[in-house]
Amino acid sequence: MSEKVLQKANWSSFVQALADARELWFPVKDGPIYKFAPYSGDVDAGLEEYAYSSVPPKAVVLPQTETMFLYQVGDKETSLPEEKKEKVVLGARPCDARAMDIVDRVFQWDEDDPYYLENRNKTAVIGLACNEPFVNCFCTSLDGSPGSTQGLDVLMVDLGDKYYLRSVTDKGSRILGDAESALEDASGEGSQAEEIIKEAEGKIKRSIDTEGIREKLEEGWEAPLWDEVSRACLGCGACTFLCPTCHCFDIQDEVEGFDGRRCRMWDSCMFGEYTLHTSGHNPRPSRKERTRNRISHKYRYYVEKFDKIACVGCGRCITSCPVNIDILDILSRVKEEL
Amino acid sequence: MVDLETIRKKAKEIVSREDVKHLIGWRKGTFGYRVTPYWVEAPEDAEELVYSPLCNTNLATSLTLAEKLPLPKGQEPDRRKTALLVRGCDSRAVVQLLTERGVDREQVVLLGLPCRGVVDLRKLKDSYPEDNEVADAEWKEDKIVLNVSGEKKEIPREEVLDDHCLVCRYPNPVEADETLGEKVEPWAEESHPGVEELENASFDKRWDFWEKEFERCIRCYACRNACPMCYCEDCILDRLNPTWIYRSNNYSENTAFHIARAFHLVGRCVSCGACERVCPAGIPLGKINQKLVKEVREKYEFEPGTDPEGVPFQASYNPQDQEDFIL
Repeated sequence: MSEKVLQKANWSSFVQALADARELWFPVKDGPIYKFAPYSGDVDAGLEEYAYSSVPPKAVVLPQTETMFLYQVGDKETSLPEEKKEKVVLGARPCDARAMDIVDRVFQWDEDDPYYLENRNKTAVIGLACNEPFVNCFCTSLDGSPGSTQGLDVLMVDLGDKYYLRSVTDKGSRILGDAESALEDASGEGSQAEEIIKEAEGKIKRSIDTEGIREKLEEGWEAPLWDEVSRACLGCGACTFLCPTCHCFDIQDEVEGFDGRRCRMWDSCMFGEYTLHTSGHNPRPSRKERTRNRISHKYRYYVEKFDKIACVGCGRCITSCPVNIDILDILSRVKEEL
Repeated sequence: MVDLETIRKKAKEIVSREDVKHLIGWRKGTFGYRVTPYWVEAPEDAEELVYSPLCNTNLATSLTLAEKLPLPKGQEPDRRKTALLVRGCDSRAVVQLLTERGVDREQVVLLGLPCRGVVDLRKLKDSYPEDNEVADAEWKEDKIVLNVSGEKKEIPREEVLDDHCLVCRYPNPVEADETLGEKVEPWAEESHPGVEELENASFDKRWDFWEKEFERCIRCYACRNACPMCYCEDCILDRLNPTWIYRSNNYSENTAFHIARAFHLVGRCVSCGACERVCPAGIPLGKINQKLVKEVREKYEFEPGTDPEGVPFQASYNPQDQEDFIL
């Protein structure tokens, strides 16, 4: 573990050093939102204004569309897309890194998923602790914290005129080594960082006691609650696509002229065509079953398999829902009514 | 305008009727400024109804969104009516649905409400950040009164109103069984904000503009699903055989999706702005739809959702229609 300090005046050289060593992904302002995109040489782009990315950095390791292999129509040969590069994600929020840790388990549970794992193993994550939690943050209810290091390689804390950086993994130490010229050794900033994180924890206002939710979800399968909470649902994919732990995908062939590719893309259990059978039978025929699935997957099925809740409390599903379907409201009703 | 007690009282009366299943309105959401569509099942539920500039969903969508699953053997379908709170734009959506026979007039009860425009939450939150505490907003003549964490503040409504509402010419319902309160005097001349600016830009500039916007699309289809006019049971976007539009998220496919949606809204879009308000990527979808609204209005003098007895635009061929722009 190494502890370093980055003066904000040295920001550009730090970013350049990271970008020289690996493909650097960075939260970029795109219209009114932030999303992670490859760094394109604009070193002025700092993290000062950035609160969180609307599209989580899961998109770096599990891209919305990923080519698995390429082929020519009528030809039996296939070819692989370009090999993935070593990447570093700068400025991921700690909850998003914890989410990667959750998704990791799925992709190496029964079979290893080579596409995801190659991407993931080649990606290092530098997290930025949250000084000012967002309106719908509730990470502290799920063993998280604005300064959690789970899933991170380096934790970075904003101390005002400088950042405090601490490596969490060997990979993280190597990354700090690559950018050594821009960094100074830390001298006591660690405790200042701890205080900031503690203070930020106190600013989180929303919460849920998760005790007993898994059992309630099992018992209350047919409860009228599900009709009520799903009623306003439009059936769009905003909650799932923007969720850092949602990982469902579909696989399709796409052909242009004679150029074919097999690719996989994010899928959403809130869509009507999700797991729709060839026969026309739909195991989740209405938004009621789909909403129940979204909640149950995170708070029951995943828990049964991995003994861990597949939600990190980032609040994106709450913030992005066009009709204010609020997972905390649903969960507290599950606890009270089921 | 109209006071809340009058709305609640009337709503109670309506849901007490034997031929009415429920009334759809709005109630306070779970945090900040949020408001959510609300189904009033029993008279006492009506106490939770709210009506404010924060009611930013088009309720006509809930008419076509209702799922009709096969009933268990021997069970009779519920044939009672659905009652709906409608403002100008909601009622225009219902009227358009009526002309398309997407909705049966006998099956809906429309309770009309005058409206002074709804806020664009992005604009509002930028200037007046919300907290977890429930925040409120109400109309006061041409102003909006905000109430955030107990602090009241009066602001000009132009500052935070949705762009569509700023130029709305139908603040009163065009169709309703009964309209409550006093009518609102329309405040805007016909105009299509943001459209002229793009029309005057060069082809390359327009291309660059939309490339940047569509590249950001995450294909969650919130725009389609929030739109009262998007109610095809078999949507072109969901088709797999043939796959008209690939699921790949890239500029090309995203553009194909948005063009397909725009084409399907020609002469049908009622300018409620719901699509743009729900977009989690902040794509200015209104600019596309307003361009089409403008074209249809200028070339055919047609305005959708204004005549319950009318014929849908795309089914109203007239030999006198302009055709000088057809290649």
